[in-house]
Amino acid sequence: MAAMEILDPTVEPRKQPLTFVPRPDSLTGKRIGLVENTKFNSDKLLAKIGEILKQEYGAAECTMWRKHNSSVPAHQEIIDEAKRGVDVVVAGIGD
Amino acid sequence: MTTNLESTRHPVQDLNHAIEFCYQQGWTDGLPVVPPTERAVRAMLEAAALEPQQQVAFITNRQVAVTAEKVAVNAVMAGCLPEYLPVVVAAIEGIADPTWGYHGPATSTGGAAVLMIVNGPIAARLGFNSGDNLFGPGWRANATVGRAVRLVMRNVIGTLPGALDRGTVGHPGKYSYVIAENETESPWPPLHVQRGFAAQQSTVTVLAAEGPHQFYNQLSSTATGVLTSLCDDMKHHGSTNGQPQYVVVLAGEHMRTIANDGWSKADIQKFVFENSQNSLAHLKRVERLAGAVTLEDETTMRPIVPSPEDVLVVAAGGRAGAFSCYIPAWAGGKKSSQGVTKLIPDRRV
Repeated sequence: MAAMEILDPTVEPRKQPLTFVPRPDSLTGKRIGLVENTKFNSDKLLAKIGEILKQEYGAAECTMWRKHNSSVPAHQEIIDEAKRGVDVVVAGIGD
Repeated sequence: MTTNLESTRHPVQDLNHAIEFCYQQGWTDGLPVVPPTERAVRAMLEAAALEPQQQVAFITNRQVAVTAEKVAVNAVMAGCLPEYLPVVVAAIEGIADPTWGYHGPATSTGGAAVLMIVNGPIAARLGFNSGDNLFGPGWRANATVGRAVRLVMRNVIGTLPGALDRGTVGHPGKYSYVIAENETESPWPPLHVQRGFAAQQSTVTVLAAEGPHQFYNQLSSTATGVLTSLCDDMKHHGSTNGQPQYVVVLAGEHMRTIANDGWSKADIQKFVFENSQNSLAHLKRVERLAGAVTLEDETTMRPIVPSPEDVLVVAAGGRAGAFSCYIPAWAGGKKSSQGVTKLIPDRRV
């Protein structure tokens, strides 16, 4: 039999509906956004990925954005431009 | 206080079972915790005159509201006395401030801990250590306030090692990393006054920080001599590529030597800023910057912080011994995280 009770120190995560845009069946003709995190070589790595997506998967064009720095989320300007101008986004860490 | 506490209750058989139960649930930092009974949690909240459901902070990237009740539960677990709660609450407000930028320093492989510097009358009243063995064990306030903040980060915000706390090596300050400034013996204005508060106000300054790096100078009897040794160490330590700030903690002997030469904190800040810079050539030779060394790099200097004011000078540590230390802030740059000073309201009821 329980002689004492203790209180739970954790928080139940607030339920947030998260919806994802369906992944495209094909990259042919798609506009690619590349989010660069400022770390050394991340721009080169993403540019290379962009080239592969164009040459091997038929993507139409690539746009690269640079975050303010590696430890913060993409800023609103990037989000807004991505919504308007691209179909697919690739983000990655560059070190 | 009649408001209901909303936390889920867990029945346990006895004290030992309660302690082991907390381990089993993954609620501890590896050390045993004090079982958070309703009575203890209520005493904590009442001492600070806080309502349980009052929101202390909101962590945007986690979409987590940190309530006074959850802070109190974790503060009990950490071993805090009820009167410490306002300090814990102010520190949580600090790390939730956008200027501190929770996500980066809490998660980064850089492994920062939350350095907390307590200033004002509350430091002495609650027994925060500002002297011997400054960062060491032995003082309940220093040990448990920092621990409470870390437990909130873990249990409420979800900053779990290996998951959302990805520190590569981390450091022991992640257990607790709390000091007070030695305002009684310091010849200089305390940190919180420099940061815009009144001397009679109490504050906690939170800074995402690496561990303390100790340096010694037993030879010099001048400010220039002591600080030259400090700068030689600072400019060559492990992370010199983008710290937003540093804390320089000057202990008794060095503090008196520097003050005897008539130096102010501003003089110290200026000297450290000017004498801890590296040439781009050096940083490239030691593989901290990319690229070939150019002739211009030999004379182009890179400061370790953006401005002299980013060297926070604190008087603390034992009276004896020619040792002091410096603490690099987490290397995310100023847009990612900066030290934040929060008022600790006098909540005594």
